[in-house]
Amino acid sequence: MKILIADDSRVMRQIVIRTLRQAGYDDHDIVEAEDGADALAKVTSESPDLVLSDWNMPNMTGIECLQAMRASGSAVPFGFVTSEGSPEMREKAANAGALFLIAKPFTADTFNEHLDGVIA
Amino acid sequence: MTGPASGYGDTGERRRAEDAPLEITALIDDETVQSIAQEAWSALIGEDEFLVPLPGGLPDDAVSSWVEVVGPWTGAVVLTCGRTTAEELSRCLLAEHAPPVLDAEDVADGLGELANVVGGNVKAVLPGPSVLGLPEVGTAPAAGADVLRVDLLWRGRSLTITLQGSAGALTAHQYDPQKNEVPL
Repeated sequence: MKILIADDSRVMRQIVIRTLRQAGYDDHDIVEAEDGADALAKVTSESPDLVLSDWNMPNMTGIECLQAMRASGSAVPFGFVTSEGSPEMREKAANAGALFLIAKPFTADTFNEHLDGVIA
Repeated sequence: MTGPASGYGDTGERRRAEDAPLEITALIDDETVQSIAQEAWSALIGEDEFLVPLPGGLPDDAVSSWVEVVGPWTGAVVLTCGRTTAEELSRCLLAEHAPPVLDAEDVADGLGELANVVGGNVKAVLPGPSVLGLPEVGTAPAAGADVLRVDLLWRGRSLTITLQGSAGALTAHQYDPQKNEVPL
Protein backbone atom coordinates (compact mmCIF):
# COMPACT_ATOMS: atom_id res chain seq x y z
CA MET A 1 0.00 0.00 0.00
CA LYS A 2 1.26 3.48 -0.87
CA ILE A 3 0.53 6.31 1.61
CA LEU A 4 0.94 9.98 0.68
CA ILE A 5 1.71 12.23 3.67
CA ALA A 6 1.16 15.95 3.09
CA ASP A 7 2.39 18.49 5.64
CA ASP A 8 4.42 21.66 5.23
CA SER A 9 6.43 20.68 8.29
CA ARG A 10 9.17 18.12 7.56
CA VAL A 11 9.33 17.43 11.29
CA MET A 12 5.62 16.62 11.40
CA ARG A 13 5.89 14.36 8.35
CA GLN A 14 8.57 12.40 10.18
CA ILE A 15 6.35 12.19 13.28
CA VAL A 16 3.42 10.90 11.19
CA ILE A 17 5.68 8.28 9.55
CA ARG A 18 7.03 7.23 12.98
CA THR A 19 3.53 7.01 14.44
CA LEU A 20 2.34 4.88 11.52
CA ARG A 21 5.17 2.49 12.29
CA GLN A 22 4.40 2.51 16.03
CA ALA A 23 0.76 1.77 15.20
CA GLY A 24 1.85 -1.32 13.30
CA TYR A 25 1.56 0.04 9.77
CA ASP A 26 5.21 -0.42 8.97
CA ASP A 27 5.20 -2.27 5.68
CA HIS A 28 3.99 0.43 3.33
CA ASP A 29 5.51 2.78 0.79
CA ILE A 30 5.56 6.38 1.94
CA VAL A 31 5.45 9.41 -0.36
CA GLU A 32 5.82 12.92 1.09
CA ALA A 33 4.29 16.19 -0.10
CA GLU A 34 5.14 19.61 1.32
CA ASP A 35 1.83 21.35 0.67
CA GLY A 36 -1.60 20.80 -0.86
CA ALA A 37 -0.50 21.63 -4.39
CA ASP A 38 2.37 19.14 -4.16
CA ALA A 39 -0.04 16.54 -2.76
CA LEU A 40 -2.52 17.11 -5.58
CA ALA A 41 0.22 16.63 -8.17
CA LYS A 42 1.47 13.48 -6.47
CA VAL A 43 -2.01 11.97 -6.26
CA THR A 44 -1.77 11.86 -10.06
CA SER A 45 1.90 10.98 -10.47
CA GLU A 46 2.26 8.51 -7.59
CA SER A 47 -1.25 6.96 -7.45
CA PRO A 48 -1.33 6.55 -3.66
CA ASP A 49 -3.84 4.27 -1.95
CA LEU A 50 -4.36 6.71 0.95
CA VAL A 51 -3.69 10.40 1.60
CA LEU A 52 -2.97 11.69 5.13
CA SER A 53 -2.94 15.48 4.99
CA ASP A 54 -2.49 18.51 7.21
CA TRP A 55 -5.19 21.17 6.87
CA ASN A 56 -3.27 24.44 7.18
CA MET A 57 -0.60 24.62 4.48
CA PRO A 58 0.75 27.33 2.19
CA ASN A 59 -0.03 27.37 -1.57
CA MET A 60 -2.98 25.02 -1.24
CA THR A 61 -4.68 23.91 1.97
CA GLY A 62 -5.59 20.33 2.69
CA ILE A 63 -9.30 20.93 2.22
CA GLU A 64 -8.66 22.65 -1.12
CA CYS A 65 -6.55 19.68 -2.18
CA LEU A 66 -9.33 17.25 -1.23
CA GLN A 67 -11.96 19.31 -3.03
CA ALA A 68 -9.78 19.47 -6.15
CA MET A 69 -9.21 15.72 -6.01
CA ARG A 70 -12.90 14.95 -5.77
CA ALA A 71 -13.72 17.50 -8.49
CA SER A 72 -11.30 15.73 -10.81
CA GLY A 73 -12.93 12.40 -10.09
CA SER A 74 -10.32 10.98 -7.71
CA ALA A 75 -11.84 8.75 -5.03
CA VAL A 76 -8.55 8.04 -3.21
CA PRO A 77 -9.25 7.61 0.54
CA PHE A 78 -8.30 10.83 2.33
CA GLY A 79 -7.88 11.67 6.03
CA PHE A 80 -6.77 14.81 7.83
CA VAL A 81 -4.01 14.95 10.46
CA THR A 82 -4.23 18.49 11.76
CA SER A 83 -3.75 20.66 14.83
CA GLU A 84 -7.43 21.61 14.88
CA GLY A 85 -10.38 19.34 15.43
CA SER A 86 -13.39 21.60 15.94
CA PRO A 87 -16.85 20.21 15.13
CA GLU A 88 -17.09 22.73 12.26
CA MET A 89 -13.87 21.49 10.69
CA ARG A 90 -14.86 17.86 11.13
CA GLU A 91 -18.16 18.57 9.41
CA LYS A 92 -16.44 20.45 6.59
CA ALA A 93 -13.94 17.61 6.18
CA ALA A 94 -16.68 14.98 6.07
CA ASN A 95 -18.75 17.00 3.60
CA ALA A 96 -15.72 17.25 1.30
CA GLY A 97 -15.27 13.50 1.39
CA ALA A 98 -12.67 12.91 4.10
CA LEU A 99 -12.86 9.60 5.95
CA PHE A 100 -11.62 11.00 9.27
CA LEU A 101 -9.85 13.84 11.01
CA ILE A 102 -7.07 13.08 13.49
CA ALA A 103 -6.27 16.04 15.73
CA LYS A 104 -2.69 16.72 16.83
CA PRO A 105 -1.26 15.75 19.21
CA PHE A 106 -1.96 12.11 18.42
CA THR A 107 -0.69 8.74 19.58
CA ALA A 108 -0.31 5.35 17.92
CA ASP A 109 -3.63 4.38 19.52
CA THR A 110 -5.31 7.35 17.81
CA PHE A 111 -3.96 6.14 14.48
CA ASN A 112 -5.25 2.62 15.15
CA GLU A 113 -8.72 3.96 15.98
CA HIS A 114 -8.99 5.74 12.64
CA LEU A 115 -6.85 3.65 10.31
CA ASP A 116 -7.79 0.07 11.17
CA GLY A 117 -9.96 -0.99 8.29
CA VAL A 118 -8.55 1.72 6.03
CA ILE A 119 -5.00 0.42 5.80
CA ALA A 120 -4.88 -3.19 4.74
CA MET B 1 -43.46 51.75 24.08
CA THR B 2 -39.88 50.94 24.76
CA GLY B 3 -37.61 48.46 22.95
CA PRO B 4 -35.67 45.55 24.43
CA ALA B 5 -32.68 47.76 25.13
CA SER B 6 -34.72 50.17 27.17
CA GLY B 7 -33.03 49.06 30.38
CA TYR B 8 -29.88 50.73 29.10
CA GLY B 9 -31.74 53.94 28.25
CA ASP B 10 -30.04 56.02 25.58
CA THR B 11 -26.59 55.86 27.07
CA GLY B 12 -25.21 53.34 24.55
CA GLU B 13 -24.06 51.19 27.46
CA ARG B 14 -25.27 47.94 25.89
CA ARG B 15 -23.57 48.64 22.56
CA ARG B 16 -20.28 49.45 24.29
CA ALA B 17 -20.52 46.24 26.34
CA GLU B 18 -20.91 44.21 23.11
CA ASP B 19 -18.00 46.02 21.48
CA ALA B 20 -15.62 45.52 24.40
CA PRO B 21 -12.72 43.30 23.30
CA LEU B 22 -12.68 39.85 24.84
CA GLU B 23 -9.86 39.47 27.36
CA ILE B 24 -7.89 36.27 27.21
CA THR B 25 -7.84 35.80 30.99
CA ALA B 26 -11.63 35.65 30.94
CA LEU B 27 -11.60 32.93 28.28
CA ILE B 28 -8.94 30.45 29.41
CA ASP B 29 -6.80 29.92 32.50
CA ASP B 30 -3.15 28.99 32.94
CA GLU B 31 -3.95 25.46 34.11
CA THR B 32 -5.79 24.74 30.86
CA VAL B 33 -2.88 26.09 28.81
CA GLN B 34 -0.43 23.99 30.80
CA SER B 35 -2.63 20.91 30.35
CA ILE B 36 -2.77 21.47 26.57
CA ALA B 37 1.02 21.90 26.42
CA GLN B 38 1.61 18.82 28.56
CA GLU B 39 -0.54 16.71 26.26
CA ALA B 40 1.47 17.93 23.29
CA TRP B 41 4.76 17.22 25.07
CA SER B 42 3.69 13.72 26.13
CA ALA B 43 2.57 12.79 22.61
CA LEU B 44 5.28 14.50 20.56
CA ILE B 45 8.38 14.86 22.78
CA GLY B 46 8.05 11.73 24.91
CA GLU B 47 5.75 9.95 27.34
CA ASP B 48 8.01 10.79 30.28
CA GLU B 49 8.57 14.44 29.41
CA PHE B 50 6.99 16.83 31.90
CA LEU B 51 6.36 20.54 32.03
CA VAL B 52 6.68 21.96 35.53
CA PRO B 53 4.80 25.21 36.28
CA LEU B 54 7.71 27.20 37.67
CA PRO B 55 9.27 30.44 36.41
CA GLY B 56 12.88 30.07 35.39
CA GLY B 57 13.94 33.14 33.45
CA LEU B 58 14.63 33.05 29.73
CA PRO B 59 18.18 33.31 28.34
CA ASP B 60 19.27 36.28 26.22
CA ASP B 61 19.17 34.20 23.03
CA ALA B 62 15.50 33.29 23.43
CA VAL B 63 13.57 32.46 20.28
CA SER B 64 9.82 32.35 19.75
CA SER B 65 7.36 30.53 17.55
CA TRP B 66 3.72 31.48 17.29
CA VAL B 67 0.44 31.06 15.50
CA GLU B 68 -2.23 33.69 15.14
CA VAL B 69 -5.85 33.11 16.05
CA VAL B 70 -8.43 35.30 14.31
CA GLY B 71 -11.96 35.29 15.61
CA PRO B 72 -13.98 36.64 18.52
CA TRP B 73 -10.60 36.78 20.31
CA THR B 74 -7.76 37.73 18.00
CA GLY B 75 -4.14 37.37 18.99
CA ALA B 76 -1.20 34.99 19.03
CA VAL B 77 -0.22 31.87 20.91
CA VAL B 78 3.51 32.26 21.47
CA LEU B 79 6.05 29.69 22.62
CA THR B 80 9.40 31.10 23.78
CA CYS B 81 12.55 29.34 24.95
CA GLY B 82 16.33 29.50 24.64
CA ARG B 83 18.01 28.35 21.43
CA THR B 84 19.55 25.33 23.14
CA THR B 85 16.11 24.30 24.38
CA ALA B 86 14.65 24.81 20.89
CA GLU B 87 17.36 22.56 19.42
CA GLU B 88 16.73 19.91 22.05
CA LEU B 89 12.99 19.99 21.41
CA SER B 90 13.49 19.62 17.65
CA ARG B 91 15.89 16.74 18.23
CA CYS B 92 13.21 15.01 20.33
CA LEU B 93 10.59 15.61 17.63
CA LEU B 94 12.79 14.16 14.91
CA ALA B 95 13.94 11.29 17.16
CA GLU B 96 15.95 8.76 15.11
CA HIS B 97 15.72 11.00 12.03
CA ALA B 98 17.60 13.83 13.78
CA PRO B 99 20.94 14.48 12.07
CA PRO B 100 24.10 14.82 14.21
CA VAL B 101 23.98 18.58 13.65
CA LEU B 102 20.57 20.19 13.33
CA ASP B 103 20.28 23.00 10.84
CA ALA B 104 18.36 26.19 11.63
CA GLU B 105 15.50 25.15 9.36
CA ASP B 106 14.86 21.97 11.36
CA VAL B 107 14.92 23.91 14.64
CA ALA B 108 12.48 26.52 13.30
CA ASP B 109 10.27 23.80 11.85
CA GLY B 110 10.16 21.89 15.13
CA LEU B 111 9.51 24.91 17.32
CA GLY B 112 6.89 26.19 14.89
CA GLU B 113 5.08 22.87 14.88
CA LEU B 114 4.92 22.83 18.68
CA ALA B 115 3.35 26.30 18.64
CA ASN B 116 0.97 25.07 15.94
CA VAL B 117 -0.22 22.10 17.99
CA VAL B 118 -0.55 24.10 21.23
CA GLY B 119 -2.22 26.98 19.34
CA GLY B 120 -4.68 24.69 17.59
CA ASN B 121 -5.80 23.23 20.90
CA VAL B 122 -5.97 26.64 22.58
CA LYS B 123 -8.15 27.82 19.69
CA ALA B 124 -10.52 24.91 20.35
CA VAL B 125 -11.12 26.24 23.88
CA LEU B 126 -11.69 29.84 22.81
CA PRO B 127 -15.06 31.07 21.52
CA GLY B 128 -15.51 30.50 17.80
CA PRO B 129 -15.73 30.56 14.94
CA SER B 130 -12.08 31.42 14.52
CA VAL B 131 -9.23 30.46 12.24
CA LEU B 132 -5.59 29.60 12.83
CA GLY B 133 -2.64 31.05 10.91
CA LEU B 134 0.51 29.27 9.82
CA PRO B 135 3.33 29.02 12.37
CA GLU B 136 6.00 31.72 12.39
CA VAL B 137 9.39 31.75 14.09
CA GLY B 138 11.57 34.63 15.21
CA THR B 139 11.11 37.52 17.57
CA ALA B 140 7.58 37.38 18.91
CA PRO B 141 5.21 40.28 18.26
CA ALA B 142 5.08 42.68 21.20
CA ALA B 143 2.46 41.92 23.79
CA GLY B 144 -0.05 44.49 24.96
CA ALA B 145 -2.16 44.46 28.09
CA ASP B 146 -4.26 41.45 27.08
CA VAL B 147 -1.85 38.66 28.02
CA LEU B 148 -1.94 35.31 29.73
CA ARG B 149 1.58 34.08 30.45
CA VAL B 150 2.41 30.57 31.60
CA ASP B 151 5.97 29.95 32.85
CA LEU B 152 7.16 26.39 32.62
CA LEU B 153 10.32 24.35 33.07
CA TRP B 154 11.21 21.47 30.76
CA ARG B 155 14.26 19.42 31.75
CA GLY B 156 15.09 22.31 34.08
CA ARG B 157 15.08 24.81 31.23
CA SER B 158 12.74 27.75 31.05
CA LEU B 159 9.94 27.92 28.50
CA THR B 160 6.99 30.28 28.36
CA ILE B 161 3.67 30.16 26.58
CA THR B 162 1.90 33.48 26.18
CA LEU B 163 -1.53 34.13 24.76
CA GLN B 164 -1.47 37.75 23.71
CA GLY B 165 -4.26 39.78 22.21
CA SER B 166 -3.51 41.88 19.15
CA ALA B 167 -3.69 45.63 19.48
CA GLY B 168 -6.84 46.77 17.71
CA ALA B 169 -8.19 43.25 17.63
CA LEU B 170 -11.60 42.62 16.18
CA THR B 171 -14.35 42.28 18.75
CA ALA B 172 -17.01 39.63 18.86
CA HIS B 173 -19.50 42.23 17.66
CA GLN B 174 -17.37 43.21 14.66
CA TYR B 175 -16.18 39.75 13.65
CA ASP B 176 -18.09 38.10 10.84
CA PRO B 177 -16.48 34.86 9.60
CA GLN B 178 -18.24 35.26 6.24
CA LYS B 179 -16.59 38.62 5.72
CA ASN B 180 -13.30 38.03 7.49
CA GLU B 181 -12.07 35.07 5.57
CA VAL B 182 -8.68 33.75 6.47
CA PRO B 183 -7.57 30.59 4.70
CA LEU B 184 -7.99 27.57 6.95
